[in-house]
Amino acid sequence: MMPVGETLLGQIRAVYLGRATDEEILKRKVASGGAVTAMLTYALEKDLIEGVVTAKRTKGLEGEAVVARTKEELLETAGNRWSIVPFAARIKAKIEEEDLKKVAVVCLPCQAQFFGQMRDFPILETDFGNRIKYIVSLFCMGTFAFEAFLNYLRVKYGVRAEEIEDIRLSREFLEIHRETGVLAIPLKEAFSYLQTGCLVCSDYTGVWSDVSAGFVESEPGWTVLITRNQRGEELVRGAEKEGYLELRDGSHVLGDVLKKAREKLARAQRNMAQLL
Amino acid sequence: MVMEKLKVLHVDIGGCEGCNVSIIRAYPKLMDSVELDISYLRDGECMYDEYDVALITGGVCMNEPRIGEELKEIREKAKVVVAFGSCAALGGILRFCRGGQAPRPDHRNFQPINSVIEVDYSIPGCPPTPQMLQSFFKYFMAGNETRLRLFKVTAGVKKLSGFDLIDDVVLTGLCIGCGACELSCPTGAIKLIDKRPTLAQERCIRCGTCYIRCPRASQIICLGGVKT
Repeated sequence: MMPVGETLLGQIRAVYLGRATDEEILKRKVASGGAVTAMLTYALEKDLIEGVVTAKRTKGLEGEAVVARTKEELLETAGNRWSIVPFAARIKAKIEEEDLKKVAVVCLPCQAQFFGQMRDFPILETDFGNRIKYIVSLFCMGTFAFEAFLNYLRVKYGVRAEEIEDIRLSREFLEIHRETGVLAIPLKEAFSYLQTGCLVCSDYTGVWSDVSAGFVESEPGWTVLITRNQRGEELVRGAEKEGYLELRDGSHVLGDVLKKAREKLARAQRNMAQLL
Repeated sequence: MVMEKLKVLHVDIGGCEGCNVSIIRAYPKLMDSVELDISYLRDGECMYDEYDVALITGGVCMNEPRIGEELKEIREKAKVVVAFGSCAALGGILRFCRGGQAPRPDHRNFQPINSVIEVDYSIPGCPPTPQMLQSFFKYFMAGNETRLRLFKVTAGVKKLSGFDLIDDVVLTGLCIGCGACELSCPTGAIKLIDKRPTLAQERCIRCGTCYIRCPRASQIICLGGVKT
């Protein structure tokens, strides 16, 4: 395993490739291995946590914060998140309403940063970091300014937001899935609709998380898992030990992840010079 | 091997005592690793000539030369100076002192302590919780500079507030509407309206918590986009 070093990818304990053992999880997943769903199902079923707070797409690209307490509920939230949910405020309301003492959050790097900072450095008496047991961050190249993006889809392609069933990412295209078929939009074209804030963000993997999860092209059907501390390591290893997760060493894909992270950093530096 | 305890000096140069209470509340869990020299626990002058860390609370009144001198003396004595709480770190609510006000009309200008001496870490918060101080010492003693980077960078900044958050993140179009600021404001000055924070300016006490809790703002200042 690699030494713990602070790089562009943050502190790294270990890198794995993971795949859910549960057929049902695999069936519902497209690109990646369903490892996040499998890990969190393990944590829920073994009572390590009471719920998972994450985002669920409601209509079009809109999302809402939800608490999943079972595998079924988790599966409903799985998949790529294309719009950020004003998670922080609603997550607190959710945790307090349902009086959850131990939760996992599945989020993007920026949200992981907020939760991680709050857990490590509780500045306010109202902070609830002690209730957050696991922070799982997804790799992220940015989220869409979705009002602008939807407007563009409507004007250029005649796609209405409520028709969108799913959005998937392939190597060069963003696939908009509708009942009537799939519309493939070149990524280059779609990327100009990313939120400006994402264009100056330098964190690809989520350095403040316990576990970062994402996808590399060279290992289809597997989820890359980067553990960052003891907590993250226990979650991943525990899920493997209990048979929820199939694991392989993932050191060889770290270069691919780093390449993406460098791209994001370069983009951030370029844009910062212009925007700030 | 017995680790020698860190010698820590606390000095308050004028505030509301909220930060001091926080430090005292943090102390029971720090006793194993820290020896705290604090005015509440002794009579007379401070105990040692040299300290590993000085925790300073309260802002500097620029109309009181004595306080500036005192700060310089502390800087001489301490290897590391930490501005603890928003007044010491960023000016905080003391920025509202503008002279001509009871009880001290002669107090016309307050500054964060980095206006007078060099500061190593600034920890905003009004007041920061006891757990925050415990966390700080945990990472400090482990030598984990990466985790403490935000506080290191903040030590070079003189003012952060809801106004700066709006100017630097929202009006530049960089806000992505995550809501971290709304959750971080101790006075409820920030509300998300149409997915973007709006500031009720009369409620903002210039504590800077929203700014350092904003993922975008904290990332940018840590990357060297320091405000001057």
